[in-house]
Amino acid sequence: MAIYSGPVVLSLLLLVSACVTNFIPETNEDNNILVVEGLITDQYRTNVIKISTSFPLGKPMGAKPLKGCQVTITDENNISYNLKESFFGRYITDSTEFRGHVGGTYTLRIVAGNLTYVSSPMEMLPVPPVDSLFYEKEVIVESNEWGRPEEGCQIYLSTYDQLNNCLYYRWDFTETWEFQIPYPVPNSRCWITEHSDNIYIKNTSVYSQAKVTDFPLHFVSNATDRLNVKYSILVNQYSLSEDEYNFWEKVQNVLENVGGLYDVTPVTISSNIHCLTNPEEIVLGYFSVSAVSQKRLFIKDSFSGLPVLYRYNRCFGDTIWGNADIPGLNVYAWVIEDYITYKIITWEKDCADCTTRGTLVRPSFWDQ
Amino acid sequence: MKVKYLIFGLLAMAISAMAGAQERYPVKWDYKGQSFTEFVSKCEVSFPVRFFYNEEWIRDYKLGDYEGELTVTDILDSLFLGKSMYYYADDHQNIVITKGFAIKKSEKAAAEQEKYIPGNDYTGTSEENKIAGNVVVDIGNPSDKNKPGNVVISGYITNTDTHEAIAGATVFIPRLSAGTISNEYGFYNLTVPRGSYSLRYSFIGMKERVVDINLYGAGELNIEMKSTLVPLKETVISADKNVTLQRFEVGVERINITSFRLMPTAMGESDIIKSILLIPGVQSVGEGSAGFNVRGGSADQNLILLYSAPVYNSSHFFGFFSAVNSDIIKDVTLYKGGIPSRYGGRLSSVLDIIPREGNKREFIGNAGISPITTHVVVEGPIKKDTISYILAGRTTYSNWIFGLIENPALRNSMASFYDINARVAYDIDKKNKADLSAYHSHDAFRFNSDTTYKYENNIVTLRWRHFFSSRFFSGISLNNSSYKYDISSERVPQESFILSHKINSTNLKADLNWYPGSRNEINFGADLSRYEVLPGSFVPKGDSSIVQSDVIARQRALEPALYIEDKFIVTDYLSVNAGLRLSSYFAFGPQSILIYDPSYTKSVSSVIDTLNFGKLDNYKTYAGPEFRLSANLRLNDNSSFKVNYNRTRQYLHLLSNTISISPSDTWKLSDYNLKPQVGDQFAAGYYRMLNKNKIEASAEIYFKEIKNLVDFKGGTDLIMNTNIERDLVNVEGKAYGVEFLLKKPEGRLRWSVGYTYSRTLIKSTSSFSEERINGGKWFPANYDKPHDLILTLNYLYSRRISFSANYTYSSGRPVTYPVASYKIGDIVLTHYSERNEYRLPYYSRLDLSLKLSGNLKSKKIAHPHWIFSLYNALGRENVYSVYFKNEKNVIKGYMLSVFGRPIPSVSFNFDF
Repeated sequence: MAIYSGPVVLSLLLLVSACVTNFIPETNEDNNILVVEGLITDQYRTNVIKISTSFPLGKPMGAKPLKGCQVTITDENNISYNLKESFFGRYITDSTEFRGHVGGTYTLRIVAGNLTYVSSPMEMLPVPPVDSLFYEKEVIVESNEWGRPEEGCQIYLSTYDQLNNCLYYRWDFTETWEFQIPYPVPNSRCWITEHSDNIYIKNTSVYSQAKVTDFPLHFVSNATDRLNVKYSILVNQYSLSEDEYNFWEKVQNVLENVGGLYDVTPVTISSNIHCLTNPEEIVLGYFSVSAVSQKRLFIKDSFSGLPVLYRYNRCFGDTIWGNADIPGLNVYAWVIEDYITYKIITWEKDCADCTTRGTLVRPSFWDQ
Repeated sequence: MKVKYLIFGLLAMAISAMAGAQERYPVKWDYKGQSFTEFVSKCEVSFPVRFFYNEEWIRDYKLGDYEGELTVTDILDSLFLGKSMYYYADDHQNIVITKGFAIKKSEKAAAEQEKYIPGNDYTGTSEENKIAGNVVVDIGNPSDKNKPGNVVISGYITNTDTHEAIAGATVFIPRLSAGTISNEYGFYNLTVPRGSYSLRYSFIGMKERVVDINLYGAGELNIEMKSTLVPLKETVISADKNVTLQRFEVGVERINITSFRLMPTAMGESDIIKSILLIPGVQSVGEGSAGFNVRGGSADQNLILLYSAPVYNSSHFFGFFSAVNSDIIKDVTLYKGGIPSRYGGRLSSVLDIIPREGNKREFIGNAGISPITTHVVVEGPIKKDTISYILAGRTTYSNWIFGLIENPALRNSMASFYDINARVAYDIDKKNKADLSAYHSHDAFRFNSDTTYKYENNIVTLRWRHFFSSRFFSGISLNNSSYKYDISSERVPQESFILSHKINSTNLKADLNWYPGSRNEINFGADLSRYEVLPGSFVPKGDSSIVQSDVIARQRALEPALYIEDKFIVTDYLSVNAGLRLSSYFAFGPQSILIYDPSYTKSVSSVIDTLNFGKLDNYKTYAGPEFRLSANLRLNDNSSFKVNYNRTRQYLHLLSNTISISPSDTWKLSDYNLKPQVGDQFAAGYYRMLNKNKIEASAEIYFKEIKNLVDFKGGTDLIMNTNIERDLVNVEGKAYGVEFLLKKPEGRLRWSVGYTYSRTLIKSTSSFSEERINGGKWFPANYDKPHDLILTLNYLYSRRISFSANYTYSSGRPVTYPVASYKIGDIVLTHYSERNEYRLPYYSRLDLSLKLSGNLKSKKIAHPHWIFSLYNALGRENVYSVYFKNEKNVIKGYMLSVFGRPIPSVSFNFDF
């Protein structure tokens, strides 16, 4: 289990005088390592195996796909299924032809040029449905500069496998929220969707029941506009084998539980895929096999002390009187308030058009 | 034999030497209530004796009603008992009364080859005597004056005020550049040619004493030394001058406890661990990190002894404070090489903390307050001159500070510690002393009312010292030391748990010191430790918890050792210290052991057998000799050359995969899969006194090899890990370095400059490629900091004002950087470079402190003093660690500085 003391120590340090500065390390880039990531589920959907090489540090992700590989998945009955190459190093299953099933054991095999890579056989374990997904308001600041408390939203998850089959859990989630620009502009109401990029895991093998109670899945702070109108979270619950759980736990220790006094010595966590042709070659990534269950939660509530994201002083660029032309309209300047005698313009597109951040398309699952 | 007093300044008293017979005269008159002077007059009338004394000493003495028929000497015995007054009755009917030291005659006459060295003129006219002081003592029979050979002068050094033995006092003969240091019983032993000398007795915080002697034969000279009332008075005392030349070992450092108190502090607390970081060859991973590294050894290779028992966790509050309260420390010695054979069980160093015994004469105390802690110490006699106690406590009020914070998360947090030390010392009689000591330390912290961490050290020691004769001592100690921590969480009642780890050791040690003849000093004994380790237990807390109890089987072992060591003076210029420690280790059941197929890396699938051992079955034994050798070659009066070889074995390991050791690291005993660590150190040093012996210069070089070190496969949790051997990687280490030190330890302006160049390298030895860190090549250890420069300065401006400054520069420690990143889903992961391929920026820190004392009137009820400190005066953001986090799909690097700006603090202390 992870006994995580990082934040404790760090917070105490901040009381003293710790300080953190960021930097970009200059290292000899080593970016030709094979990366394999993929997930086989029990759902009727296209399973994707992505094959690429690692990318250099400090720059946004630039995929370097590896094309022309032969990718095969073999099940417990030794029946092989060949994946089709899609684009950008994506190798996909046909959702009508291939579907994982609970109890099955799958092995990934990749032939890239004259090198062959193979994964450990991974068993698909059953996953129970998410029992409950709920939130609680949490006070972040008791009294802000206007004398009001500030609240955030802590989302919890509980789940229970009565059959005691699913001992190790992993979750990821997709957040979608609606936001509104407070000006009468054409594109004022949009939706944003973001995927989680942290590791959420739980080991219930130390309990007498495969039960997760009030797992603090995600904290929505008031520093964004997620809570202003309406918010939704869709959680995927995965069942992990002990091996895969150990992999994620190690990744979490090295990647997330850092920045304190007791950081672990960083190392690369080894994958479940190895090269048959050249056993010394490092392979990154993980081939996951899991059953999936899902649950969605909507939050439309009033939270105290939410900051207004679009402050007038930030958005208000200039006031144009009468019907004078606005130079650079829709290129450098946008109208956010249009009156008969004058218009208020902004130089920030965010203030005038919600599509810079989100989409105008209402998600199918979104009710009024 | 005659005794002569030459008293300068205070009084002039006629001294004459007379011939006569013995003094066993029964006193028949009623002496009760007589003043001492009356008694003496009556004696001198009744018997053919003459008394010599200073009237000031005995002015208030009245004779009591003693039982039975007593002789003159019986009465003197009763009268002077416990009063630091002594008498000496010679063969010529003279009774000489001395204060502060005793003269004893030894019948031993050494028969060797050298001749009497004629002294300076000691009749009182020479300059030497005027400087030297007030006493000339004859030792031995003047008729032996011209006999050949060296003779031994020995005796005990005690503190006049507290009657404690003074360990580590320097006895030095400037004319011969010969000297020694008193042992833990306050006993000293010096072999020199016959002659006339000045003997200097000095100790930090004590008034120096100088005794002129005419040494005709072997004899004893017991000395009492006075504490300087105000610590700053020590401006005039001379420290361990020249004695570095005399010591046998290479790499032994005694910490000057008074300079230590003047050291700048980070949070107003004097800290013993922080102060040893100023010694060349001692480093730490970073500030605020618990533990220290000695000559390339890991933090668990240091044996920290308090009350002769090991301290398993040496820090409070995440390493910001030492676990041992400095109020109770009398003296600290760090052995970074040249470890005497009486110490064992750890590889790199021994930090022996000798606590004080408590004042046997009067009640005194000290209390202080600093930004984070407050402390108080009281001591005094329970029975005057016989039984004393000392009680010290320290605590934080940081919880109160947390309560004031607006942030609700921090307000629900807490971090606190306290520690208590207590000791009772009993001088049963002249030959027997006993003491009972106890130590308890406690830490607790919690973040946002979630998980609570608690850890504590406990030590109890009973010690009995018996003096068979003035040349044969014994000390027997029985101690128990334990460390445990509990981590508990009650956030969700269903998942509430308590996670604990515990180590408990009991040690019985018999240590004997024997000084046969003049050339040998033999130390031998037996040492038996029993260990019990609870690797981990994870149990539910509360009724609604569904946590399944999981308790990893306890480990039990015995570590017996026998040792002997002889400090042997071969010639005047060569002395040798040869020691042997036979160390052994027996692991006992009940235990079940997994046997792995050696041709595969250890994992679930490579288990080939399980062995079950019942209670008390010995399932694994390790044993081996440890040789400890050193030689000291005195090149001339002010320089010497020493060499040293040390082997050490360690059966107890601290499992830590973090950069610095953490309170939740676990201890593990050697077993089937974890072999004992074995270290060999070779060291040599050159020592020289410069500038009329005012400056000590030294250069030491060392090379060290360590076998059976452990490292870990990445990222694993080591707590509650049942099969920890699967995550261990075998590595070996080597370290080498050269240490230079220039030091002016005395005077109003004291300073030191130390520079160390050292490397510590590690190599994995596994034959499996997945266990080979950096492909089996040598790589630098986490604490490998090649360049290390330390400057210290103390300026004692006046008795009330002193200033001190420290400056530290060192190379940055090695770190591992990510070299590439990759994604699994939306999670960005990192791929790391070769272990420790890069380095942090260099480390540089200046600390300043100013100590102000209140006025020095000795009758004042309390003596206050203030210490103002400025830690990291340059405000440099010294990087403690770097880490990398995924921020919006970009891996960003962050540098964490623990003390990123100057930290001022003030502490207030007063003695009462």
